[in-house]
Amino acid sequence: MSPEIFFQIIVNGLFTGGIYALVAVGLTLIYGVMVIVNFAHGEFLMLGIYIAFLGNSLLGIDPYMIIPIALVLIFGLGALIQRGLVQRVLDAHPLNQIILLVGVGMLLVGLVQFFFSAEPKAIHVPYETAVISAFGLRFAIARLVAFFASMTISLLLYLFLHYTRIGKAIRAVSQSRDAARLMGINVNFIYYLTFGIGVAITAVAGVLLAPNHRMIPTMGQGYSVIAFVVVVLGTMGNFIGAFLGGLIIGVVEAFAGFYLGGDVKIIASMLIFILILLFRPAGLFGRKRA
Amino acid sequence: MTAEISKKTSSGPVRNWFRGVLLDWDRTQMLICFLLVGLLALAPLFIHSTYYLGILILTAIYAFIGISWNIVAGFTGQLLIAQIIFLAAGAYTTIVLYNNFLVSPWVGILIAGLVAGLFGVVVAFITLRYGLKVDYFALFTIALMVALRTLFLKWKYVGGAVGMWFSLTDPAFDKMIFANKEPYLYIALGLVVIGLLVQYRIYRSKMGKYFLAIREDEDAAAALGVNTSLYKMLAVVIGAAMAGVGGGFYVMYVTFIEPPQVFNLGLNVEIVMAGPIIGGLGSIAGPLVGALLNKPFAEIMRGALTGGRSGSSLIVYGSFLVLTVMFMPRGVTGVLHVIYRWIIRRFTSEELGEDQNGPA
Repeated sequence: MSPEIFFQIIVNGLFTGGIYALVAVGLTLIYGVMVIVNFAHGEFLMLGIYIAFLGNSLLGIDPYMIIPIALVLIFGLGALIQRGLVQRVLDAHPLNQIILLVGVGMLLVGLVQFFFSAEPKAIHVPYETAVISAFGLRFAIARLVAFFASMTISLLLYLFLHYTRIGKAIRAVSQSRDAARLMGINVNFIYYLTFGIGVAITAVAGVLLAPNHRMIPTMGQGYSVIAFVVVVLGTMGNFIGAFLGGLIIGVVEAFAGFYLGGDVKIIASMLIFILILLFRPAGLFGRKRA
Repeated sequence: MTAEISKKTSSGPVRNWFRGVLLDWDRTQMLICFLLVGLLALAPLFIHSTYYLGILILTAIYAFIGISWNIVAGFTGQLLIAQIIFLAAGAYTTIVLYNNFLVSPWVGILIAGLVAGLFGVVVAFITLRYGLKVDYFALFTIALMVALRTLFLKWKYVGGAVGMWFSLTDPAFDKMIFANKEPYLYIALGLVVIGLLVQYRIYRSKMGKYFLAIREDEDAAAALGVNTSLYKMLAVVIGAAMAGVGGGFYVMYVTFIEPPQVFNLGLNVEIVMAGPIIGGLGSIAGPLVGALLNKPFAEIMRGALTGGRSGSSLIVYGSFLVLTVMFMPRGVTGVLHVIYRWIIRRFTSEELGEDQNGPA
């Protein structure tokens, strides 16, 4: 393999991995605070991309301009879902939590399919195939933007969690719900906030994909599965772990796609996932077996 | 005082039978199930449309597969989310045996159960060996499903991405091909009856009690001397074998199988999870009652109410799941149980034991 191809694969992998990282950071945030696996996680990415589609086809807005709208809308939806549904099963049998979230996911897919049909859709923007060449490598503009936006949002979220009062409260709740409550933190409010943020940044990942990605209502499932892989790889609940895990899985998939073909590249992630689950379920950054 | 009177008046075989069955909620559930199966068996007398008969056949298949999942998830509380991998194993086994080796589906379906059961042994062994529990176990089964989908997409022998079509010939009993729908319905109902009996035997046996103990508190069960690994594995294997048999018959009925269709969480919810959950996970009547409610309703939604618009059945299943978890975590059977207890209290003087249905 020539160095150009090698680095090109790494670049492509990192670009995909940036999106994975953003999705996984949302999932790991929710898991870290509430110890609940959001089985409907990918569906929020799907909602994001359809919001971009709607804004673009109805109002002619550029997908990137839709990011704030999607952020607010999906944050609200997430907080509502947390408040109305998830909150009530936090102490229930894990099976009930999974069933509830699987149900929410199906409902979202069903509604989108009902209103937009199951036919693939795409957004057309002038820059969708634009490419810049540098160092002998090719960078697709839309994917470059998506990558840097993902990095920026992850960094902002990290700073938010570490340097603001509310961010610190979120981390406090993730360390100990009861101790946080005793310190006067409104735990339920933190839960609404966390679920809202977690799914909102996932929806943003969807919007970032919009300019050069076909969309179907069932596309979320694949991203859910990838997010599970990434989050377990990077230790459930670990922010930096999910972020790095996303980039790692992106690169692994890019190489698997190069050697095995695009339609079977997922087998590499699944293999890593199964091996991690079996031999190191605490993930790369965990101290002991979960 | 009243208790003595009621005991005195309750002699005679009919009374005894009545007391023995109706005062026992488990047996009452079985009675309800058999009445429902009886009604389904009489359905061809009134329903002649092949479309509606087809829905009833699928309902019966879903009920049987629901029972298989109920034993794993309902009884032992294991989060075997992607049970559909065992259904797929059984379906592929049956169709490969028929198409490539001319094995009669009657035999093929039994071998399918065996293959799926062995697959269950492997899955259970790996997960127990490495101590995967709760969420990790759930995620493991989903990863396995995605990996298998990719594998089957590339596996030319089983048709790859095109899938496999069941080579149809003229109707023949030994090939399980019939000119009309009724025989399929009766085979499916036969499976449901077998499934109900197996489930009931397990539920009432010592093994069943161990299953429930594991569901309620695995550590406590282990501390009391239950070999939790063994019984968790047994539950998975029994469930897998039944799902394999169900998958074998399912593919005989729908006549084709393709990887994206079968290794799919949506179909998994529809076939495996929705019935037991809506009917009442962990209860005896749950899978059948749930399948009878959700499959016909989803079809009505798809057909009549929305004019065949896609997505409507997803909306039905999704909202059913959400509503069940929110408002009746023990499902329809749980609601029936409350009514049943009220009736028994109101009209007899019997003491009822504690409710032990469902992982809620």
